[in-house]
Amino acid sequence: MTTQLFIQLLVNGLASGMIYVMAASGLILVLGVARIFNFAHGEFYMLGAYGVFAASILLNLNFTLSLVLSMVIVGGFAALCYGTTFHYIRGQLLQCAAASVGWSMLIKQVALLAFGTKERGIPSVFRGLIKIGDITLSKERLMVIPLCIIVMCGLYVFLMKTKTGKAMRAVRLDSEAASLQGIDVTRMYLVAMVMGCTLAGIAGGIIAPIFSVVPAMGHDMLTLVLLIIILGGAESELGAVVGGIVIGLFLSFGYFFFGGLTEVITFASVGAILIFRPGGLFGSVVEV
Amino acid sequence: MLLKYKINSPLKRLIGLLSLGVILISLPFLIRSPYYLHLVIMACINIVLAMTFSLMFSAGLITLGAAAFWAIGAYASTVLVMNLGISFWLALPFAGMIAGIFAFAFGLIIVRTPGFIFVMETFVINMMVVHAFGHITQLGGWGGICGIPRPGAITIPFIYQITFATKIPYYYLILLILLMTVIVFYALHSSRIGTAWRSIKLNPGLAQTLGINLFRYRVMVFTIASAFAGLTGSFYAHYYETIEPETFIIFKSLYIQIYGILGGLNFYILGPTIGASIMTFAPEFLRITQEYEPIYTGSMLILLAIILPGGILSIPERISALSRQNKVKKVKQ
Repeated sequence: MTTQLFIQLLVNGLASGMIYVMAASGLILVLGVARIFNFAHGEFYMLGAYGVFAASILLNLNFTLSLVLSMVIVGGFAALCYGTTFHYIRGQLLQCAAASVGWSMLIKQVALLAFGTKERGIPSVFRGLIKIGDITLSKERLMVIPLCIIVMCGLYVFLMKTKTGKAMRAVRLDSEAASLQGIDVTRMYLVAMVMGCTLAGIAGGIIAPIFSVVPAMGHDMLTLVLLIIILGGAESELGAVVGGIVIGLFLSFGYFFFGGLTEVITFASVGAILIFRPGGLFGSVVEV
Repeated sequence: MLLKYKINSPLKRLIGLLSLGVILISLPFLIRSPYYLHLVIMACINIVLAMTFSLMFSAGLITLGAAAFWAIGAYASTVLVMNLGISFWLALPFAGMIAGIFAFAFGLIIVRTPGFIFVMETFVINMMVVHAFGHITQLGGWGGICGIPRPGAITIPFIYQITFATKIPYYYLILLILLMTVIVFYALHSSRIGTAWRSIKLNPGLAQTLGINLFRYRVMVFTIASAFAGLTGSFYAHYYETIEPETFIIFKSLYIQIYGILGGLNFYILGPTIGASIMTFAPEFLRITQEYEPIYTGSMLILLAIILPGGILSIPERISALSRQNKVKKVKQ
């Protein structure tokens, strides 16, 4: 294996890993703060990608503007979902699972009817290649990594420094105690839902110029996000970061070595880890 | 819990069950169209699958991976019959056992984290099983396996030989499987094991203090439920004579969940029966096109989760609860 190939696989793995990290930390936020068991998370990712597609192709906006527009659309839709459905069934596993599965079916089928099964592409934003010595890397893949790091740092600063972020962490710890301290708990749930789903939307928007946009992409992402949360644990964003990068690298190198069976091998490895740490790497076993 | 409504007299109950039995046995002669008989057979398969979901829910476990064990059963039976040359009648129980063994192995790992993580893990298991079947070329890959032999003819002494040429013998076979599932599940629910499961669902911590081994009972329910899903999978493979991984994708598991919830999850036998029957027949009779079906199903699921989480069978209970509330209000006024 040459250095060239190794670096390329590493960059690809890190780039997709960072995307997974964003989507997974979004779901962890929704899960932890709002206690909404959201199986429609992948569909928000898909919506983000289609939002960027629609804004940049149909409205002829540039990439930054279309990403912002798509964020607004996804966030608004998440708020709609919360207001109409999840607000009433928050914290109840069966009802949440049922309703989110319903939303997932609905959104996916509407996207399918609206955009068709055709693979949509967006002209890439960062064109060209970067040459370091004799290693060539495509710019667009490389640029995903700093973009995602910026977003994740923004999330970190938001959760740690701002008042809303602190309130959200308080709600995650104990919602009753938080409401006794004068925190508007319902608003925090809404904020968490919107932020979590928007994170997935941003991930989809960033990935849109690189991969083709299809209605089924949300479902594939959901599986990976769930796998990452199982691996990393459902309690903190740290689990999502570690799990996402590990899975991204594993898949990237795995496809090179094992081909199509990679996913099965990944699932099996995560299963093997679960034998020793049932709650995931950074989680603990809690009876719900 | 089988029937919550007041059927106190055993005679009435016997008459009811007998007439139901007569209707079910004479069904293939009442509906002569093979298409409707096919729907009935599919409904029976879905009922068994929904019952496995419901059984697991009775122990507080929510699965989104029922289709995975259905698939394992179907593939196991196919391999046993086509590659090892075993008769279908032996492969049928073996398929259930193999699905049960797989479920046992998975269960040992995943039941330690009940709740949302368990749901996610079953979801991922379903994906994994489908991917595994899709990528193993010896099992036909994504194209699946065609030409699965029909069940061999069985001879009933002095009467006649049953060959699986039409849909009618298949109907009786699935009816038998369904009946067996109902009897086994009903027995389980009425036994100490069922009581233990329900206590785990109500309050795991309390159940544990009473000496119920949570881990053992959860693995047990996961294994039993999956074994029955595998048994149905075997029947499905030999009924369709072709299987492909696409049939067993997560979508099917989601539908199985809907069957259970629609009927009512607190009614272990009747709930899945009604839910699965409605979900099988309604799209066909309403002539909903394939394109729009997920939209209807999705909206129905959302409404169901918000308005009627107890399912259709909980309506009478809800009404009586409401009227009781009204009475209390009136008395207060």
